[in-house]
Amino acid sequence: MSATGVIADDEPLLRAQLRSRLARLWPELTVVHEMENGRDVEEVLQRHGPSVFFLDVHMPGVNGLEAARRIAGRAHVVFVTAYDEHAVEAFERGAVDYVLKPFTEERLALAIQRLRERLQAAPAHLEELVQTLAARLAPAAAPQHLRWIKASVGPNVRLIPVEEVIFFQSDDKYTRVVTCDGEALIRKPIRELLDELDPERFWQVHRATIVNVDRIASVRRGLKDQAEIALREHPGTLVVSRAFTHRFKQM
Amino acid sequence: MNILQLLEGLTLRRILWVTAICALASGAVVWIFLNTYFDLLLTALAVGYTSMLLFTAASNVRQSVMPREAMQILAIVAGSILGTILAGVLKGRDITQMFHERLAGVTISMGLGIGFGCVVVAAILLREKYARDQARILRAESERHQLEKGMLEARLQLMQAQVEPHFLFNTLANVQHLVETDPQGAVRMLDSLIRYLRAAVPQMREAHSTLGREVEMARAFLEIQQVRMGPRLAFRIEVPEPLRARDFPPMMLISLVENAIKHGVDPCCECGTVVIRAEEQEGRLRVCVADTGEGVKPKEGGGLGLANIRERLKTLYGGAAALVLEENAPHGVTAAIEVPAAA
Repeated sequence: MSATGVIADDEPLLRAQLRSRLARLWPELTVVHEMENGRDVEEVLQRHGPSVFFLDVHMPGVNGLEAARRIAGRAHVVFVTAYDEHAVEAFERGAVDYVLKPFTEERLALAIQRLRERLQAAPAHLEELVQTLAARLAPAAAPQHLRWIKASVGPNVRLIPVEEVIFFQSDDKYTRVVTCDGEALIRKPIRELLDELDPERFWQVHRATIVNVDRIASVRRGLKDQAEIALREHPGTLVVSRAFTHRFKQM
Repeated sequence: MNILQLLEGLTLRRILWVTAICALASGAVVWIFLNTYFDLLLTALAVGYTSMLLFTAASNVRQSVMPREAMQILAIVAGSILGTILAGVLKGRDITQMFHERLAGVTISMGLGIGFGCVVVAAILLREKYARDQARILRAESERHQLEKGMLEARLQLMQAQVEPHFLFNTLANVQHLVETDPQGAVRMLDSLIRYLRAAVPQMREAHSTLGREVEMARAFLEIQQVRMGPRLAFRIEVPEPLRARDFPPMMLISLVENAIKHGVDPCCECGTVVIRAEEQEGRLRVCVADTGEGVKPKEGGGLGLANIRERLKTLYGGAAALVLEENAPHGVTAAIEVPAAA
């Protein structure tokens, strides 16, 4: 029985390899299209209407999982992956076809055999599987906070990871970004920074100051309900104004 | 500042100490005076308590007019005078008469108050200094522990890092295909893989390397990636021959090159270039990896790799080395490691 297939992998040699293996092990299959990633999956479905997609899990742009979600049961899917504990475990549980790179003939032949048996039936919806997998592969779906500060230093734009910042302090129109290596000025006001930074790590201690709590060496009570912060790796001190001292009350 | 904050440190312990000192001091000097012991004790307690209150307050007031110690001495002197007057009032004496007719006694009781007070203050100050020294020692120790922990972590990460299974299997899959279609290409790729592994593996145990060795490892890695990514990746290495023999910490350059591919060139679907460049400037060796890839996204982390390099540079060179990241024009990132250029 003839069938049509599409191969998606970002590595050209691996696409060629799969194509030649398929030609040998499944001569009735015609590979109608190859893709570098899953971006054009909709168009390919419209134009070629293939019966099966071979999807690499890791691809730049639209990866294999996203592509499978977009295919949404309109074709059969075989996942191809080099090494991924999480993915393989999920494939096993979800009874999804997959092959590991580098291929062994037997494994690929087995996948083809299973696929041929299934070809008559309606393709499975992989929605649920894709969702669990996507969550496992990219757990960064947690709240997104600012991770990089871009600051002009002369003609260059310096990239500063927020972990390196000791404190931010507003200075007229600008905000000073102080790190162990020096200082830089940015235009983003304290107010905006406060909304974007991880609130667990960056505390506002004054109308004009945000401090990285990891860089606090000690806090000392001062005049008029204020407090004073001594810093690690920086000789200066920061004033905690009255409105913010509650964060430092003994726990 | 409220009254409670002014009196911070006024513990029951301190009150008992002052009481005990007053009782002993009165006993010690009772033979000088005509007064009874209890009469003296009353004076002593009045002087002692007043001085104690003023001393405590002086310790807590934040001011910059004079050193805290001077303020405390002043509090003792003032406390002795006020305390003596207070004692007079308590005993129902006429204050003016006190300062006229009983001046000698008043002066002695003030003098004694000041004398004992100063001895007590000196003792307290010494104890405070001792506590401060102790705290400083503890802090220094904790910083040292922190540093040691950082070094250990960095070492551990160095040992665990690098040869990712994903990278290895994908590379082997490429070799597998090349063996059938382009045996020459397969040999070249295996060569690169062997050079990469050979460079990567012994270094997991060594603390020193040379720039040349690190560059060759990066080159082998880039050659492998180039076969895998095809025309999507181009690279150049611009490292002058004389700089290759220089000491350079291991596994940092490769980490930057991996970042350039993983976070720079690979995610953007167009083609990208990675350039490794080394130069010596004003006694500093600057090695940078520039890519024309996607650049950093403000809300996505750069991974542990960079923090790890920073930590290791700090351990190896103190403040004399740096890792600087900048935007590459028109897009991409330039990551530069600068170390002192010891030949």
